[in-house]
Amino acid sequence: MRDVDLLVVGAGPAGAVAAREAKCAAPELDVALLERDAAPGTPVRCAEGVGDAGLREFASPDGAPWVARKITRVILVAPDDTEVSVEGRDVGWVLDRTRFDACLADEARRAGAALLVESEAAGMSRGADERWHVRVRTPRAEETFRARIVIGADGVEAMVGRWAGLDARVPARDMESCAQYVLQGIAFDPEAIYLQFGRAVAPGGYAWLFPKGVGVANVGLGLVALKADGRNARQYLDAWIARRYPEGAKAGYTVGGVIVHTTIKATYTDGALVAGDAAHMINPLSGGGIVNAMKAGRLAGRTAAAALRARDPSARRLAAYHHAWMELLGEDHLKYYRIKRALEDLDDGFFNGLARTVNRIPQERRTLGRIFRRALVKHPQLIPVAARFFM
Amino acid sequence: MRRAPAAEVAVVDLRVCDRCGLCLPLCPPEAIHLVLTELVVDRTTCTGCRKCVAPCPVGALAMLPA
Repeated sequence: MRDVDLLVVGAGPAGAVAAREAKCAAPELDVALLERDAAPGTPVRCAEGVGDAGLREFASPDGAPWVARKITRVILVAPDDTEVSVEGRDVGWVLDRTRFDACLADEARRAGAALLVESEAAGMSRGADERWHVRVRTPRAEETFRARIVIGADGVEAMVGRWAGLDARVPARDMESCAQYVLQGIAFDPEAIYLQFGRAVAPGGYAWLFPKGVGVANVGLGLVALKADGRNARQYLDAWIARRYPEGAKAGYTVGGVIVHTTIKATYTDGALVAGDAAHMINPLSGGGIVNAMKAGRLAGRTAAAALRARDPSARRLAAYHHAWMELLGEDHLKYYRIKRALEDLDDGFFNGLARTVNRIPQERRTLGRIFRRALVKHPQLIPVAARFFM
Repeated sequence: MRRAPAAEVAVVDLRVCDRCGLCLPLCPPEAIHLVLTELVVDRTTCTGCRKCVAPCPVGALAMLPA
């Protein structure tokens, strides 16, 4: 039996930031950070794209070893292959998650948290001592950790939330099934990310190309299986690559789920919080979740530290975390989710027409606001979609 | 609550499964578990609803008679 004040399960962006923030807020606390795999950041299950402003709240990408590419434009590809380029000076970055996650975990370790790799939480129960008893398996042994607060940052599978009695189930229509290759030897603009929509390409989602280097990129797609024709994500991706990048050599391969839902109803209970993908904190419109996870991890770590200092890890106290998250991003996600649902009703013909409308706006005048206004005038089908944002 | 046993239950082909965990939150009775990085379907709680089958990105889940 090993006693800790705070046990963080999962050393991805949410967990690593939570452990670091808790330790920085209350250095006297014993904080342990569990990672199931041999090293944080492995295996990569991510397209690795991140927005500039959000990233900078946590780490400077300038010259950082965990950056793969700087992105200055987004190329949206309509179902009929019409390309629309949207420029921006500081659009975002494609990360090297293996290095990025390792760097975040190292910051937690340097702040004083114990980083335990090859350590998998296998179950947990509430003890009579009002602490969580968490069974942790390593390749060599099984040990029980006794924690005053547990933060579940264990990703899509969200086992900590389940054990703590929180409901993190997802309706099938809000689960993106994703597959991705690292493709080598293909031609593309190395400062752009490409997103293609279309029923035949990725029904209910989109296909992407995120550059990792010159001629090397993460090429993948996410789809909603309910809208698919019986093929799985990997089969759709193979078809897309055969059409767009037949010369590509497949280096890496990964699959995974992206939950495009809204934040779970309760992200807290007595002595437990959940953060990041485990709490459905992904932007339901874009599918992006890295910065959201770090923001949630920061809130969770600080809330847990304050609760432990006050010797009150009760649900009533930890509810402050949920409210802070909803105010920060959770309420916005409710709006994005409504837009996502409204966009689902629009067909390929609409997006082909929209691409042509936007291409009539000169490149240097192509701001999001102008695109939005022109689109509303030319495509009145969008009005109910926009209205959902304000409902 | 007791229920009639399902006629079919989900089974996972571990040679194909990538352990991505996507199917876990899709399961209404929470019958799918990742145990020591192996995916396990609990045959006693699986209701045979098939909600995990199509979304698997690699087609590792299928239904078999219980």
